[in-house]
Amino acid sequence: MRRLMVIEDGHEYEEFARLFLADDFEILAAHSAAEALALLEAQIVDVFLLDLRFDRALEDALVGDVEATARRRFGGDRSRALRHVMEQQGALLLGALREAGHVEPAVFVHDFPPRRLSNLCRLYGDVRAVPGFDAAALREALA
Amino acid sequence: MGAYAAWHAIDPGSPEGRRARARLAQADAAYRDGVTRLEAEGDGARAALARGVAIAPMDPRLYARLGRACRARGLDARAAEYFTKYLAAVPQGDEATEVRAQLEQLDPELAGVFGPAATPSAAPVADGGPSSELRLLGLGALFGLLLALTLAVVLRFFRDRGVSLERLAAERPELHPAIAYLVGSLRHELLKHRIGAAGDALVALRAGSPSEAQLEFLRHRLFGGEELRAAWRSYVEAFERTLGGLDLSRDKSFRRADRAIRRIAQLEPRIAALDAGAIARLASAHEELRAFDQQLAGMAQRLVRARVDDALLAEVVAQVQGEYAVSQAELDALEVLAVEEVAEVEVFRVDLVLVIKNVLRNAIFAAARAEPPRRVRLEVELELEATGEETVSLRVSDTSPEALDREMLLDRRVDRGLGLVTAAVRRYGGSIDVTPGEEGFQKAVVVSFFRAFDDEGVE
Repeated sequence: MRRLMVIEDGHEYEEFARLFLADDFEILAAHSAAEALALLEAQIVDVFLLDLRFDRALEDALVGDVEATARRRFGGDRSRALRHVMEQQGALLLGALREAGHVEPAVFVHDFPPRRLSNLCRLYGDVRAVPGFDAAALREALA
Repeated sequence: MGAYAAWHAIDPGSPEGRRARARLAQADAAYRDGVTRLEAEGDGARAALARGVAIAPMDPRLYARLGRACRARGLDARAAEYFTKYLAAVPQGDEATEVRAQLEQLDPELAGVFGPAATPSAAPVADGGPSSELRLLGLGALFGLLLALTLAVVLRFFRDRGVSLERLAAERPELHPAIAYLVGSLRHELLKHRIGAAGDALVALRAGSPSEAQLEFLRHRLFGGEELRAAWRSYVEAFERTLGGLDLSRDKSFRRADRAIRRIAQLEPRIAALDAGAIARLASAHEELRAFDQQLAGMAQRLVRARVDDALLAEVVAQVQGEYAVSQAELDALEVLAVEEVAEVEVFRVDLVLVIKNVLRNAIFAAARAEPPRRVRLEVELELEATGEETVSLRVSDTSPEALDREMLLDRRVDRGLGLVTAAVRRYGGSIDVTPGEEGFQKAVVVSFFRAFDDEGVE
């Protein structure tokens, strides 16, 4: 059976996956880049299911340089930069996975504009997205 | 185009234009009252002028009277400031000659910016004020002040009176970053993770054969954790608190969503009993909330946008070059690089034009004060971010060796440059920074915004 790693800051994706995708996948769960990379040292995964927003994550668990983001994009405003890093954490986390050599397909549950999804593919290879929680659409995207 | 002219330029045949004209007239009465009181050295001048500021921008032709009134009271520095504002805004006005003459007496070097150079024997500045070079910098800052006043008055003018969220977004573009954030949070946390996620379990429920796990999942998402109505209420309150007292009970879409949330909350016991009628009502409410989610997504897509294209740059350059003071600045080259890829940003176009004009004007004056070559360049850059987003940067480079650093950008004092422009940019979720110049330029002021994507397919 194929193995799916869910990476999110809560448990909603994991609950959904265990209920509606467990017939097709063995489900693993991680809640940060560090946790995901640690699990990947011992496990082979076939596909990632990623949350984009990590609003509940602690700052030190986040991927992304908040200070540099504040300087480059938010005029030095650290709180805006932190909020941005949390809101886009899934994309930054995917970057960390790719940097570590994990090139498996990644699926987001997010209604990305086509240009944004195309950019993510340009940056990170095999990236897919479904606009909402829909088991059939997810199964198709994860295939 | 200054703030007053920008208001006047709104189509008078439109509702917004009629409101703008009415407010300008109302403000004009207050401003004239204030000027008259100042001329008569009576009380209440400041309060009357403040009333005007709270309503709409001032007709810049009144600066002539304000300058004379200040000079009559011995406030020479203030008088010179007002005369400068008059000449910057209406260089060919009816009183321009007389105002120029008065400014010549107060500050011959500054007056030279607006007309023939002063003679060496011209009278010194009475209050020993700052040098003319700093005053030139102050000109740019004064326009920044006008910009900030415009934004402040627009905020108060279009304050909500129980309007819908869509209408508020249409009338107050400076709220768009806040609206986008709130809508995104509501959609992500409540409509996606709780309502949307329950969709597949609901399908099973309606089919009449839900597993225990699916039922439990549905119960947990809809009725577990924070009570659904309380969670909804906290989002509504966040909207209303953040968006200036907005009353969402007057927004039809939010009222419908509120009713759907309350219906769902009331159905919990009957869902547990697998009551067919309750399941049907739950499905109907669920469908309404999914439609509400789509409506919010559509609204977020329609938040105000400006196209950053050659036409925008041409308009900025034409307006700046049309200013009398700028036309007197000696520049060797003003380069405008063609926009390679048109992009949109979530900024009201008139505000984007005003911001870039301020930056460009400062750069022109700075370069003109320096030794040759005196060059300025305006260009647009797109940068791909690690998040898949893109940044649109409007870059104004100049050859002036005058220092300009982040602290000066943030400085809100009128005589220190772009602080007010910085505040305006930040209100739209953008950033402004100074970077080292390239290709012979000393420095560049870079105004950046995240690119606004649309739903059109990628070519």
